[in-house]
Amino acid sequence: MIAEKTNTAQQIIDAISSTAGKVNFINDQALTDALLYLENKGIPTNKHEDYKYCNVDAILKKEFKNFSQKFKDVNLDEDLRLADTVTLVVVNGNYSEVLSDKVILKGLHINSFNQLNENGKDIITSQADVKKDAFIALNTAFSGQGFHLQVEKNTQLQIPIHIIYVSSCEGEALINPRNIIEIGQNAEATLIEHYVTAQNGKVFSNFLSEKLIHENARLISYTIQDEGDKGFSVNTNQVKLEKAAHYDNTTIILSGQLTRNNHNVVISGENSEAHLNGLFVTDNTQLVDNHTLMDHQVPHCQSNELYKGIIKGKSTGVFNGKIFVRKDAQKTNAYQSSKNILLSDDASINTKPELEIYADDVKCSHGTSTGKIDESAMFYLNARGISPDAAKIMLLNAFAGEVIDKIIPESLKELVQKKLGFK
Amino acid sequence: MGNEIIEQHIQSEYKWGFITDIDTETFAPGLNENVIHALSKKKNEPEWMLENRLKAFKTWQGMKEPDNWAHLHYPKLDFQNISYYSAPKKKTELSSLDEVDPELLKTFEKLGISLEEQKRLTGVSSNIAVDAVFDSVSVKTTFRETLLEKGIIFCSFSEAVQEHPDLIKKYMGMVVPPTDNYYAALNAAVFSDGSFCYIPKGVRCPMELSTYFRINASGTGQFERTLIVADEGSYVSYLEGCTAPQRDENQLHAAVVEIITHKDAEVKYSTVQNWYPGDKNGKGGIYNFVTKRGLCAGDNSKISWTQVETGSAITWKYPSVILKGNNSIGEFYSVAVTNNMQEADTGTKMIHIGKNTRSTIISKGISAGFSNNSYRGLVQIRKGATNARNFSQCDSLLMGDKCGAHTFPYIEIKDKTAVVEHEATTSKIGEDQLFYCKQRGLDTEKAVGLIVNGYCKEVLNKLPMEFAVEAQKLLAVSLEGSVG
Repeated sequence: MIAEKTNTAQQIIDAISSTAGKVNFINDQALTDALLYLENKGIPTNKHEDYKYCNVDAILKKEFKNFSQKFKDVNLDEDLRLADTVTLVVVNGNYSEVLSDKVILKGLHINSFNQLNENGKDIITSQADVKKDAFIALNTAFSGQGFHLQVEKNTQLQIPIHIIYVSSCEGEALINPRNIIEIGQNAEATLIEHYVTAQNGKVFSNFLSEKLIHENARLISYTIQDEGDKGFSVNTNQVKLEKAAHYDNTTIILSGQLTRNNHNVVISGENSEAHLNGLFVTDNTQLVDNHTLMDHQVPHCQSNELYKGIIKGKSTGVFNGKIFVRKDAQKTNAYQSSKNILLSDDASINTKPELEIYADDVKCSHGTSTGKIDESAMFYLNARGISPDAAKIMLLNAFAGEVIDKIIPESLKELVQKKLGFK
Repeated sequence: MGNEIIEQHIQSEYKWGFITDIDTETFAPGLNENVIHALSKKKNEPEWMLENRLKAFKTWQGMKEPDNWAHLHYPKLDFQNISYYSAPKKKTELSSLDEVDPELLKTFEKLGISLEEQKRLTGVSSNIAVDAVFDSVSVKTTFRETLLEKGIIFCSFSEAVQEHPDLIKKYMGMVVPPTDNYYAALNAAVFSDGSFCYIPKGVRCPMELSTYFRINASGTGQFERTLIVADEGSYVSYLEGCTAPQRDENQLHAAVVEIITHKDAEVKYSTVQNWYPGDKNGKGGIYNFVTKRGLCAGDNSKISWTQVETGSAITWKYPSVILKGNNSIGEFYSVAVTNNMQEADTGTKMIHIGKNTRSTIISKGISAGFSNNSYRGLVQIRKGATNARNFSQCDSLLMGDKCGAHTFPYIEIKDKTAVVEHEATTSKIGEDQLFYCKQRGLDTEKAVGLIVNGYCKEVLNKLPMEFAVEAQKLLAVSLEGSVG
């Protein structure tokens, strides 16, 4: 569906062009395409099918009237560092070598975009198509100084890499952090991407991460979003799996006024598998919109999704997951499950689990359920002397546990549990 | 396995394709205010009806033809190239079936629904009263007198406009106003005829009411309008079935069906749709753009949609229920079969407004050949719809690797007491199931028939007996030889 265009995109371009740094690591063709796409299509409104429950255009209009683009330096909160990880820090969209750990691990290469040679630069726009989505285009046109993280082939990284994205500004700002993660043949890595804001100005963060998982490689990734009540973000993950690759992501959304996730997984090599897990706990007037796409392009692959939501206050949760099985992707097994609990009269949840299937020899299913806290379970606990409040926490903990238990690094698990307050 | 069988299936021709040769009076193609004036005059309509039509026409002119938001692909329609009125020349004031044009009766006989047979069966409780819609004008309404004794009004829409203007004024457009969507507006402006049914308070309709739609004259669009009103505590089971002759150019069918149930009333609406789907290259076929919606206005009321969709080149149809009354119930049971180049985007909407409302959705899609079959459904729990309950199940069966099966459910919940479940699966007929059947001496075709019938059983069981037979036959014809 062609959405009617508003002039929000033009205003953004005008507002940030003057202060934007030169994007010299993205080729001219991609830059032109990105700007043209933005000017022609604009920022999506709720008339746009993919943004039906998330009118980013209206939010931008209401909340961001004047992008001042005044950034502040950041002193990284030491509490954010996790034990037994390598920390990389991205400040206001730019990779900060100063704040990042200087650990030399065999087989791990981290280069900021302007350090890359010509071949290296070509890979930057190789995954995310600027003509697919306005936010990919916006990020490409005004990309921050991101980094390229490469795990060499046959390398098994034992220590998780913890990337902290932190933003801090006065007034209103738009940032476009970007990175590309490449896991070489037979390599293995664990990645934690952690999004926070220093509380002062309002930030609209338009994240883009391209992830390339080569043959027989394995990436375990975690996305922790905790951007506070002045943080607005669109987070695009464009992941490509080659032959026999393995991708596992667990997304935990703790806070953020607007959190829109576009998690696109392209399965382009046989015998690979992808798992997406998600947990969002929302309150107040938060809007959390999770979009996932499993694009099965080849036969003999598996995918699995589990998204859970606990929705409180006046907040809105959205889950839109699509399983797309192309004509040749026979013998695909794809499952998807979305479960939600509504805890308040003013909360709402919109789910849209989609199947689009063009191959016949497949097993695909999705299920979604929304309900309240199980009354019989509540009664059982109350009858045994547990107060309703304690019982509620216990039951919510169990509900969320299914996703939290997927987190392997202990330090991260503790952080999430502490933040959620279920423990 | 099964390539040749699929081939064979794809080559199977539309079995109900024939043209009845009777004189029809048809308007020249084109649509403007004059056409609407002429149409209204032809039907001898009162002034208020003409005004309604013109208003709807204005609304329609101000609307944009929807883009292809649905999962459908078809060329843009030229609304100036359609004739907006086509009536059999013989008039309808016939007192007995013998006076009906014999050609017409033969047509119905070919379809296996002869009026003669209905007549012969008078007095049997499973009787079906048929309001036969032949192209646009109701030709014959049977059993009308019997129904009148109970106070039930069952007549053509035009007659209702003349004889029961109060009811029409009150209820027409109540559930589907002209502003609802592009095709609803078009229908409100140019609707040719249809059926009207009113069940008075506390009456349980003693027979299944039925309309057979048929598009006959070449190049005529058919714009039916059906209005069913069930007053307090009443019950009616309404059947609608269609077949259409083979045509080359695309024909548009933009019908509107409205159902209103008052307190404690129940309406069961069943459809078997087998319009011409186009040939195996996708040439011709009916465009079926229908707006069907029911309103459970009173407490404890119930509306149930059951549909078996096998025909039409393009189907765009979402029979919906607005659950406004407390404790009201909405149901949707559907089997949609697409073959060759057919495309279907069908499903339902369940809008929960009242307290303790319940809805059930069972949708079974089967795609074969090069077709695309989509389920698109909305379950909406509004704020204050305490203890609303929904269960949805959407299964798809794929036959062959060139077709597509899609599910697009929208679930919007704004009440914390709601319990909503949705599940969907996509698969093919299991090799082991086929093997099991074949090993016991069934050939592949029979085995497929058996498995498909079992797959659809949940829905077929909901059809009135008279329809279930026809539906099963249709499924068998539509899927002859298809193997996954």
